[in-house]
Amino acid sequence: MKTFFKALGNLFRKPVTIKYPFEQTYIPDDYRGMIGFDENLCIWCRRCEMVCPPGAIVFSQDMDGKQTYHFNRAVCIYCSECVRACPKEGAIFQTAEPAKCALKEENINNGWNALFDEALKSRADYAAEKKRLAAEKAAVLKTDDEKK
Amino acid sequence: MGKQYEIPLGAQHISLLEPLHFKFTTENEKIVDTTANIFYVHRGIEQACCSKFKFRQVSFVVGRVCGLCSISHSTAYSQVAEKLVKIEIPRRAKYLRMLVIELDRIHSHLLCLSHVAENSGFEALFMKTMQYREFSMELLEAVCGNRIQYDFSIVGGVARDLKPAVGQMILERLKKFKPQLDELVDIYENNWTLSLKNKGAGAITKEDAMRLNVVGPFARAAGLAIDVRNETEDLLPWKEVGFEMVLDTAGDVHARNMVRLHELYVSMRIIENIIARLPESALITETKAFPDGEAVVRIEAPRGELFYYAKGNKTQVLERLKIKAPTFSNVSAMVEAFKGNEYGSVPAIIASYDPCLSCTSR
Ligand code: SF4
Ligand code: SF4
Repeated sequence: MKTFFKALGNLFRKPVTIKYPFEQTYIPDDYRGMIGFDENLCIWCRRCEMVCPPGAIVFSQDMDGKQTYHFNRAVCIYCSECVRACPKEGAIFQTAEPAKCALKEENINNGWNALFDEALKSRADYAAEKKRLAAEKAAVLKTDDEKK
Repeated sequence: MGKQYEIPLGAQHISLLEPLHFKFTTENEKIVDTTANIFYVHRGIEQACCSKFKFRQVSFVVGRVCGLCSISHSTAYSQVAEKLVKIEIPRRAKYLRMLVIELDRIHSHLLCLSHVAENSGFEALFMKTMQYREFSMELLEAVCGNRIQYDFSIVGGVARDLKPAVGQMILERLKKFKPQLDELVDIYENNWTLSLKNKGAGAITKEDAMRLNVVGPFARAAGLAIDVRNETEDLLPWKEVGFEMVLDTAGDVHARNMVRLHELYVSMRIIENIIARLPESALITETKAFPDGEAVVRIEAPRGELFYYAKGNKTQVLERLKIKAPTFSNVSAMVEAFKGNEYGSVPAIIASYDPCLSCTSR
């Protein structure tokens, strides 16, 4: 009986739900949101890439040694391990902004896998090239030595 | 003896939240026998943890074993890894871990209670319980930065600190929640319609519970005093923050509801104590060691004892990780407790077991 009267009373109460998209839900100031990156501060140590559990960060490298940062917001789990691992304060940081949804056009899974492999390959290529140059240089030095 | 019928229930069924399959043998509505099949959602997490991920990353992987008791999994794993690399974590980290585990227990228990109400046919109470549960989700979001998948415990300590403002907010919200919880206890205890469905349904005796190795609220509702928080002191100092065992004797759905509700009072008290006595110290113990040797850890998840075993071989990647979830321990007793009940009360009984199949089959 008590329940019945309570139910009747509830008819006149305000709803407890909110009108989401028009009203924002509760988001704390230190919400774990998008990961930001500052190219000018980064020292390219790749520690963030090493600690990232799902592999949402990868650095590619072109032939003159310049590295580029790639980040996939759909793979990232927003754990901020990268922020903790970074030796340079502010180079990689977490904002309170929720990530946007992934769209089909972005081809975010397969595209990312391909990009990831390419990035690793570009680094391997660069390392091989560097090794080859070093070997060449050493060889030149050696022949120089022999000539003397 | 009447004619016997076999009724399959699951793996997809409207009263089931999880892919779980039961086959009931019934005789005139009465259940005489049951078999269960639980491994529908095997994801190979243990294997992934021992091959793909470094040991520091695994605490994030196991946090995704289960959405409801994410923190229990990542804490249990962090503790087992800390044993392997032989470090002691700071006191503040221990307290913060307990804080999040208890907040998590509040939201998990309220979820289970609301589903018992729903499966007993009391939709309004389901809505009400869910409404009252919302505060715990918001508190978890304020503490950990996310409503689920907290990523709070990491190997060596915790990832985030508790800001004083957030501590204050927790205390305020708990104060507001207390009368709401009193109201819920009153409804679950005294509501006549609910008691028709819940009292005497799915009962299990203390002896059976002991024999079948039941854990968690399921065991405590049958009068079996099992709680890891009562047994281990070395990793998390539960007694220091005011843990008390909640017991009931009936062992039926109603008793389980009551145990869960009264555990919420205990959880609230623990949280208040933690915030009042939060020690000042660092959050993380750093180490460069690699895991070596074997270790086990037990922890009280909302559903009961969670067990982790890990073996390291001085490399970045673990050699073996074994997870035993509370629901797995309870399956044999679940099957037992159906016997002699009406088929109609099965949904409520299943909800009252609070099964978590994604934990069970990993
Ligand atoms: S927040 Fe976590 S998942 Fe995301 S990029 Fe950083 S380390 Fe990787
Ligand atoms: S860890 Fe920091 S400094 Fe190093 S590569 Fe990543 S962002 Fe740059």
